[in-house]
Amino acid sequence: MVDLKEKVIVIDPDKCTGCHSCEMACSMKNFGKNHPYYSRIRINEFRDVNTFIPVTCQACEDASCVKVCPMGARYRKENGAIVTNEDVCIGCRACVYACHSGAPVINPETGKTMSCDKCAGEEKPWCVRACTMQQALQYVPKYMVSSVSGKKFAWELKEEYKPKAGKDDEPQFNFSFA
Amino acid sequence: MHGWAGNRLRVDLTEGKATIEKLTPEYLRKWVGGRGLNSDIVYHETWEGMDPLDPANPLCFAAGPLTGTFSPLAGRTTVSALSPMTCSYRGTDVHGHGDTNMGGQFSTYLKYAGFDQIVVKGKAEKPVYIFIDDQNVEIRDAGHLWGVNVKPATKMIMEELGDPEIKVAIIGPAGENLVRFACVVNTFSSSGGRTGMGCVMGSKNLKAIAVRGTKPLTLANPEKFAEASWRLREIVHKSPSAIRRRLEGTFDLFDPANIIGINANKNHSTGYMPGIEDAYGGIPWTNKYLFRRKGCWSCPVSCGRYTYFKDGKYAGKHFGGPEMESACNLGPRIDSLDVDEVTYLTGMVNDLGMDSISAGAALSWSMEAFEKGLLTKEDTGGIEFKWADTETSKKVLEMIAYRQGFGNVLAEGNIRAAEIIGRGTDKIVPHCRGLEHISVDPRITTGFSLGYAMSTRGSDHLKNYSCLEFQGCAMSRKENVLDALGPELNEIFWKDFPAELNSFTTKPKLVTWSEKNKCVADLVGCCCQAIGSWGGAGDWRAYTPLFREATGFDIPDEEIFKAAERVINIERANWLRSGSARQDDTHIDRFFEEPVVDGPYKGLKIDRKEWEWAQDEYYMYHGWDKEGFITPEKASELGIEEIIPAMESGRKLYREYLKQNQ
Repeated sequence: MVDLKEKVIVIDPDKCTGCHSCEMACSMKNFGKNHPYYSRIRINEFRDVNTFIPVTCQACEDASCVKVCPMGARYRKENGAIVTNEDVCIGCRACVYACHSGAPVINPETGKTMSCDKCAGEEKPWCVRACTMQQALQYVPKYMVSSVSGKKFAWELKEEYKPKAGKDDEPQFNFSFA
Repeated sequence: MHGWAGNRLRVDLTEGKATIEKLTPEYLRKWVGGRGLNSDIVYHETWEGMDPLDPANPLCFAAGPLTGTFSPLAGRTTVSALSPMTCSYRGTDVHGHGDTNMGGQFSTYLKYAGFDQIVVKGKAEKPVYIFIDDQNVEIRDAGHLWGVNVKPATKMIMEELGDPEIKVAIIGPAGENLVRFACVVNTFSSSGGRTGMGCVMGSKNLKAIAVRGTKPLTLANPEKFAEASWRLREIVHKSPSAIRRRLEGTFDLFDPANIIGINANKNHSTGYMPGIEDAYGGIPWTNKYLFRRKGCWSCPVSCGRYTYFKDGKYAGKHFGGPEMESACNLGPRIDSLDVDEVTYLTGMVNDLGMDSISAGAALSWSMEAFEKGLLTKEDTGGIEFKWADTETSKKVLEMIAYRQGFGNVLAEGNIRAAEIIGRGTDKIVPHCRGLEHISVDPRITTGFSLGYAMSTRGSDHLKNYSCLEFQGCAMSRKENVLDALGPELNEIFWKDFPAELNSFTTKPKLVTWSEKNKCVADLVGCCCQAIGSWGGAGDWRAYTPLFREATGFDIPDEEIFKAAERVINIERANWLRSGSARQDDTHIDRFFEEPVVDGPYKGLKIDRKEWEWAQDEYYMYHGWDKEGFITPEKASELGIEEIIPAMESGRKLYREYLKQNQ
């Protein structure tokens, strides 16, 4: 059984402004240093069209990185995150190539791979906390994932389906997932 | 070294050499970073009477100790040099300190490459650009980039170096053609516009500086630094004004400015314009043009805009910006409510690499002069200027950037253009020290007014940023008002409130405090908005704990405030040594003689006696003398004794000027 209450990071690239706060937060949390290369979440920038795609490990249910690792170094933690056991990892980067979004990144200090552990022990991952204003990153239980990422689509549909003007039983959709 | 990268890069383009200097802790303690490092270099490595286009003029780019860290709003670059744009009443050949501040990502990567500052001197034989790859510095040929606009040229450099993560600070055709108000643009659309730093860059035949930085920044106390950053971040997250700034960008200022009637409409002749809120208001503009927000480094707010035309004449066009000042100076200032055209103009000006404020000022000045008959078709080569004529504006802006025809005159900046044309056209140039006003009417808001005149780079609100005089800001930051004014003036401030907006009584002190307050943000390399106009974060003290935890320098708050004062003084000294003192700390006659024509403050003008009083008071709070010169006592108190002889020679020039003009 899947634990639907387990929280995951949901990304909405449309809201990302390319401020790199999440990268700074991640590198701060895990290394006490600041540089995007020290961060496990990365923003892919296309600044000439002002488009930014944050990429971080989504901890797939059937994760190819776990299957492909020759040393069995990729494993799932209690909170659902898939991370690298650096004691075992040989730094072959197979997990990076096997991942559909190339989410595992190279640890610049050891050369082995690392990926998001959802800041185990914290209430919210730091990257999500740093994105409080823009909400491009949200930390929600799995049962809410579709409603969060489908919210925009639903909002558009709502315009089409909402009761005609004059009726006072118009439904209210102004709740928030923040 | 923590916080700072600890190195200064010096590039001599004449010799084609680069050297790296280590910065000592004592030096950094004195000048802190960012604007401080630059102002030190600009004062000490230029001289009285120097031509800003002289190859020896040091062009400095600097980051602060917090730039590129987890601290919020930490993505600012200060660019400084002797300014080609500004001048004095002593003559248009008198120049002084010039600097400009830009967001984006340039200084962040400069620090990741291991440098706090770049100082570029000399002049290359042919167009070049500098490529900084960590500690390796390469001067590369830029012949193929010369004449290319900002955006395509930035892309070309990225493609040439084969790395989309390279950050580029670049000039457009305006900078190449030495337009005096050319700007430097980084990461495609974050511009450092004012005082013509792009012109200095162009005079060195330097098209761009590209940076790749791969080394991390270390912090003295990472855990405490993270804690302090989170504290400031949470304040920003909750600040209502920051939330509004995120939604509407700086366009949120159009409404309030129009309500009190302080916009610069029609070349500062009226401050109120009906219909402006429907055209340029934050929500209508955002709904119509906003493609996506654009964030500077590590800024949770992201007030930057990115425009996309969904339909209309420019359907499909997209570019970074605009910001409120750009839109206001290219829109209401030329009396245009055609938002489509004005938004397009801002994008065009940015891509050509010009300061949108000065460009708008050039257009509005020509329009007013033409209307009054001071400028004729013979002067302009057949161009007919009419208010709100965006088609002509488009043509003229291009002519300015390439210095063609009448554009060649306008490219000199308003005050020099007025000198060329003559016929009293200088009377309709709203400026201080040759730099045109931004879009706030100096007759109404006395704090801004005083700040414009006293600013160390010519007319500008970002050197004093005395937002506390506005009702909403003061109400939400009462403790800051008390801190700035002291108990006695605080009482007077609140007694007159909100009518104090146009009374000078408390303003001299408020402005001296606000100047230092803003300067602290520039020193640490952060954005001034959190400590300036937003209610939440408070004052300069917001950044001092971050500064201490990042650098490990256990110095009291007051010392950082003192450093800010030192920086303001050294910038001022740059002007004083060439005899630009009290005579330049004023407005043009228009604001003393012509009253405001409409809006709630109709009929208001600046009273000369009150102005003189305010000047005296302001000098007193700074510890300067009645002529506006820095006293030897003040100089030694701040540890800048070296300026004392220059003050004396400057005083001679100043008195000579007074004698001639009596």
